[in-house]
Amino acid sequence: MVLTFDGTFDGFLSVVYAVYYEKLEPASIQIDGREQLSLGDLRRIERDGEKAARVFGAIRKKISPEAALRVYYASMSADENRFLPILRYIQLGFAVGHMVDSHLHEKFVRDVHEFHKNVGREAHLLHGFCRFAETKQGVFYCPVTPKNDVLVLLVEHFIERLMNQAWIIHDKRRKKAAIYDGKSHVIAEVPADAAFTYADGEEETQELWVEFFNALAIKERKNKKLQRQLLPLYFRGNMTEFIK
Amino acid sequence: MDIMDKLKILADAAKYDVACTSSGSNRAAKRGALGSAVACGICHSFTADGRCVSLLKILQSNQCIYDCQYCGNRRSNDVPRAEFTPEEVAELTIRFYQRNYIEGLFLSSAIIKSPDYTMEMLNATLRIVRETYHFNGYIHVKTIPGADSLLIRQAGLLADRVSVNIELPSRESLERLAPEKTRQNILAPMRAIRENIAQNKNELSLYRAAQNEPKFAPAGQSTQLIVGATPESDSKIVTLAEGLYGKFKLKRVFYSAYIPAGDSSLPTDAPPLLREHRLYQADWLLRFYGYKSGELFASEDENLSLEMDPKCHWAVNNLHLFPVEIMTADYLQLLRVPGIGQISADKIVAARRVGKVDFDHLKKMRVVLKRAKYFITCGGKTYDKFPLLPEAIAPRLTDSSRIAGYTQLTLAQ
Repeated sequence: MVLTFDGTFDGFLSVVYAVYYEKLEPASIQIDGREQLSLGDLRRIERDGEKAARVFGAIRKKISPEAALRVYYASMSADENRFLPILRYIQLGFAVGHMVDSHLHEKFVRDVHEFHKNVGREAHLLHGFCRFAETKQGVFYCPVTPKNDVLVLLVEHFIERLMNQAWIIHDKRRKKAAIYDGKSHVIAEVPADAAFTYADGEEETQELWVEFFNALAIKERKNKKLQRQLLPLYFRGNMTEFIK
Repeated sequence: MDIMDKLKILADAAKYDVACTSSGSNRAAKRGALGSAVACGICHSFTADGRCVSLLKILQSNQCIYDCQYCGNRRSNDVPRAEFTPEEVAELTIRFYQRNYIEGLFLSSAIIKSPDYTMEMLNATLRIVRETYHFNGYIHVKTIPGADSLLIRQAGLLADRVSVNIELPSRESLERLAPEKTRQNILAPMRAIRENIAQNKNELSLYRAAQNEPKFAPAGQSTQLIVGATPESDSKIVTLAEGLYGKFKLKRVFYSAYIPAGDSSLPTDAPPLLREHRLYQADWLLRFYGYKSGELFASEDENLSLEMDPKCHWAVNNLHLFPVEIMTADYLQLLRVPGIGQISADKIVAARRVGKVDFDHLKKMRVVLKRAKYFITCGGKTYDKFPLLPEAIAPRLTDSSRIAGYTQLTLAQ
């Protein structure tokens, strides 16, 4: 049986609920509209916030808060087949409790650890690599194209960090954006391209930054390979110091 | 001179200070203030030499009255000079921070007029950043050797991390190359900072309400020393670092391969980058792996091996302690296996709680066996039948690709 759902985290937890209470044995879990051709039955699971909250609470209590966080991060992974291993991880967790993370001989446990690690790492890198530019309207605009769906993790970080200024973080790959007005934020669907004009002084600030950045490299120690390892090329398309 | 020219000169002049970390402070955001600090630190970019950019690292001024031979800003060196006003530094910091270019400010300076004058100017800058702009992000400030202890205390209350560069590994070298600085002038503020931090911790635990009081350098202090400008051995340097971590409670010691600084009497060779790398590896062994400096120099060598990393080198010289059994070795024993770090050791300890762990499991758990395989057994089995003899193992543990990389770097210049 192939289960499908709306792609949200709550939607996925609703799938877990259905699997648990209806004793389903899915061969695959896919997002609506992206299910691969398959011979098995297709069944769609509705998102249900209440059921989702119960499942999440149960993971925290019966497995561990760390496991709940791991599941949350893993669900943002770019891997299309992430949901089945996450389900197996939760099922094993309900059987063995917090010891689930010791079961590294199980591939699905290692997979979930790997998803978690990749998502966490990309979000952490983007906490540093995000670049905001001030627009004429006084809003700071930041384009990103992450591999994993880490927008909410960026929001959590910048809502603290840049609390008193309005900003937009635009995930161009997924055509959505987090819009923050200095008090609260919403996540909305937006087109992949955005048109705006810079505020006065923005160009100058960018030039100062590029100047600073270029002055920092010590030519006697040049090591482009190391630079590429630490700052992969795919981030650079959105970073002031590499596009100016 | 416009701000662009100043930035160019004063960033260029500051770049040899290798500390770039923004770690060690955890401070939540506050309404009305700009920014926060996270304990793990955040890298914001990486330069063409592969070094992280985390802080706006600049000098207040490079107009130095001192003449330290290893330093490009020394009085007798013919380089362009510039000086920022406190307001200029503060504004740059804020503009960069709002755009997420940086994690905060790293402010240092050449000695202008006198140590006290310079320290006061740095403090004036920090005060504008913190009090006028309500900046709540990370600040690292260099204290000036010889500055009044009260000024250093003020700096520590405004910054997350304070540091004094010890510059050279021995008193003699310092006397020879930096005649205006003395070991005493460097160690005195280091001691004062340690005491301020200790006292602050004490007060904080006494009065919980004091949580809102300014903390003295919550991210601790660090220092830097130059490697290769003077003849000190690695053994001397590592022992010195161990003392600084122990006695002075330093958070970090940074090592900087000497880069010829213009026309001076010092060596003009390419910077000893591989040696610097080995020193950092040894430093990690001291801080995170429970090694003592004496263990790393147990044989007659005064210097770390360039061919082999210090952990492998130690293991090859202590083969009587190996192989260790993956299923039963304690955590510290696992940490001493070449190729097994904290993450791998954690995984092994977790996995063996619920079942047998064999070589295949280790591979799947992504424990790197390249070096470890010679030093471990799984359920009594060795990886392959390889004699545990130094002459058999050593050639397989040399870091040939890395050495080749560094040689190429040197040749390329």
